Amino acid sequence: MRFDEVVLAIMKAVDGQRTISSPYHLIKGKKSGQTIQDIGYFNLHPFFGVLPKLEKSDYLAAVARLQSTGMLEPEAEQVRLTARGFEVPLPTTPLNGWKYRGNERRFFARLSLIVQTMSCFIQGQNRFDPVVSDEAIQNWVKTYLHRIHFRDSVVQHEFRMQLESMLERADAASWQKDIIIERLSGFNIGGLTWDQIANRGKIFPIDAQLAAVEVLHASLAVLEEHQPPLLISLLEGVIQQSALTESAKRTQSLFERGFSLQQIAELRQLKTSTIEDHFVELAMNDPAFLYTLFMDATVYEMIHKTSEELKTMRLRDIKQQLPEASYFQIRLALAMRGAGK
Amino acid sequence: MNLEKLLYDSYGFTEFRPGQKEVIEQVLAGRDVLALLPTGMGKSMCYQLPGKVLPGAVVIVSPLLSLMQDQVAQLKKMGEKSVVAINSFMKPDERERVWKTLEQYRFIFIAPEMLVQPYVLGKLKGIGISLLVADEAHCISQWGFDFRPDYLRISEVLPSLGNPQTLALTATATDKVTDEIQRYLKLRQPFIYAHPMDRPNISYDIRKFENEKEKIEQLLRMVKNYGGPGIIYAGTRKRSQELASRLLDHGIQAAFYHGGMEQQDRIFVQQQFHNKELEWVCATNAFGMGVHIPDIRQVIHFQLPSSIEGYVQEVGRAGRDGKPSLATLLYVDGDERLIESLVLDDLPERHEVELIYAAGAEAKQLVEQGLVRETAYRILIYWRERISMEGTLNQMELLKKEKLRQASTIRQLVHEKGCLRQFISASFDQETPVIPPNCCGFHGIDHELFKAHRPEPKRDSAPSWQERLKAILPI
Repeated sequence: MRFDEVVLAIMKAVDGQRTISSPYHLIKGKKSGQTIQDIGYFNLHPFFGVLPKLEKSDYLAAVARLQSTGMLEPEAEQVRLTARGFEVPLPTTPLNGWKYRGNERRFFARLSLIVQTMSCFIQGQNRFDPVVSDEAIQNWVKTYLHRIHFRDSVVQHEFRMQLESMLERADAASWQKDIIIERLSGFNIGGLTWDQIANRGKIFPIDAQLAAVEVLHASLAVLEEHQPPLLISLLEGVIQQSALTESAKRTQSLFERGFSLQQIAELRQLKTSTIEDHFVELAMNDPAFLYTLFMDATVYEMIHKTSEELKTMRLRDIKQQLPEASYFQIRLALAMRGAGK
Repeated sequence: MNLEKLLYDSYGFTEFRPGQKEVIEQVLAGRDVLALLPTGMGKSMCYQLPGKVLPGAVVIVSPLLSLMQDQVAQLKKMGEKSVVAINSFMKPDERERVWKTLEQYRFIFIAPEMLVQPYVLGKLKGIGISLLVADEAHCISQWGFDFRPDYLRISEVLPSLGNPQTLALTATATDKVTDEIQRYLKLRQPFIYAHPMDRPNISYDIRKFENEKEKIEQLLRMVKNYGGPGIIYAGTRKRSQELASRLLDHGIQAAFYHGGMEQQDRIFVQQQFHNKELEWVCATNAFGMGVHIPDIRQVIHFQLPSSIEGYVQEVGRAGRDGKPSLATLLYVDGDERLIESLVLDDLPERHEVELIYAAGAEAKQLVEQGLVRETAYRILIYWRERISMEGTLNQMELLKKEKLRQASTIRQLVHEKGCLRQFISASFDQETPVIPPNCCGFHGIDHELFKAHRPEPKRDSAPSWQERLKAILPI
């Protein structure tokens, strides 16, 4: 996918119901209650946090392009796609941002340093400037390399074969695979900067960055499925067991020990609204969440009915029809719908 | 003690570089030392080798995170494992681990703002320090081009560290700055080693042009006719990108480098330059640290540097291998205006002084709110603890004059009618150097020396990922 297509895909989902800046926060991976519940409401799991360093100016440039090509209504504060914007076909994507949570970067940092080290040793160069400066990564790679006996040429060959086979299987285009390998360095071969890659392929640097993330997510899926012995341990700590944010996890464990929402807020010295965000997150990830602790089943049904009738996920519109339900209850009920899907 | 043997056994070198042995001998004799060694002359060996024999740890105070990281990386590359860097960017668990194992480290690099924290001081005191090293010691001088207020605090913590032996290292210092280093670090009858700053293999040239267009044309001529590896200092990030793309258009292997790029991209540019995949790097002054390439043949300044110290530092990256190298400054009338506004930009402004003094304990929030800049904050917080607001405003006025004076030295350099080498040496209070062949524009340079022998650029199409992977892992 190109960057503009990612923006368009998100806009298609939230059309008329969210502001122009909401896709930006989602792509950056902002961990606010609003962003996280939107993922569930609108099924935006693929795009969460895929470009954490996205600059606002790059995002606004994409918005301007979508407007000038007639996909997006101009000047509106809310996202409003044109008929054309809805019709334009979007490619499928291997992106899986909600699952990998930016950890593909840790995976690639490990891979980069392993490949550089092997490349240098294969060619008799035992001292070199490491391409990754993060000490935690350096220590991890050191341990890993010793464990696999990386000086053994059989191991080195096998490592390359597994890497090659991972990329062959990865659900991505070959120009995208070119990019990820251009970001690797070796003995006397430097990695290429985003600008160099973009220049060579006559694309925007941001599209090059996105292509790299797509290849990585596709590759991680391949590794999980095929479990190649040398590469599988690179996933250590990369695949998150729980889909919850750290803070929501702490709220969950207190909740399971019988504390109420109020008590949790006091214990953790956080605002009640923050704890409410956590519950919405819990509900979103757990189809069996006991919402009856927070509202009657009739209220729950009413919220869903109203949402369907009005064809909206906008809290304010639902609240107007159902003044007796609180905003928290509406958010919780809508989150459950996402989880049920 | 046989120092040569120690050097060979520890690091595999057979001989010292000029100055190293003199400094190390005095350090091992227990004296405070102030060493002025040009960049690239192996300053760090002056504490590395003593660290091998002294009983306690060597603590190195280093002003810049990137510099610190580079030094640690270089030390590790030489096989030194017992090295750690402590800075405020460490994650809490990382820091925790370091505190627990601090006594195991022989070389401890630390940022000045960390050094002054009571907890850190207590930890350092506990492990026993044999030598305190103030790296880039000129940062202590508020008159210097690189003033770091936190550096002044080093002297405040010396007593609580038991007044350890001190080694001050710097590459660029006038007499005035040298005096300040001695005074602020409370050096006791120090041994002072001052290596002549002059670099006889560098030819200095200044070219003046009527307009920007001519300047660019000259740049392209120099890049094409006289070869690299070379650095073009561009002044601003935007300009570094523009120049790189001009060079690329002419089929020259070039890339830009500046502090706005992500760290991985910066590492890639350094790698490519190091591997000779790139011939030219168009950069801001962020480029240089971490670049250990002995055969840089040309340094071109497309913009005026903001101080003569900065100029000497940047030019000094050329010709570390001792072979003839060319330093050219390209100038168009009016270039100094940019410099004057740039140097004054760094200084705290009046409204920032007033805000910081009015803010009390909440001053840090002013930075977060974007009302006061981080650099201004650091300087002002230091002075607020010591003097009144009027005093600080006065201080800023003096500083502004000094900065303008430095900028005017650069202007003098540009308009110097005589020998550039002598002018540079004189501005560092150095003795008049011998005039080498190809000294400078005034004494004449034989540019034939620098003629490029460039092979025809290969116009290979980019390899497929499979081909590149095989090239990286040829097995």
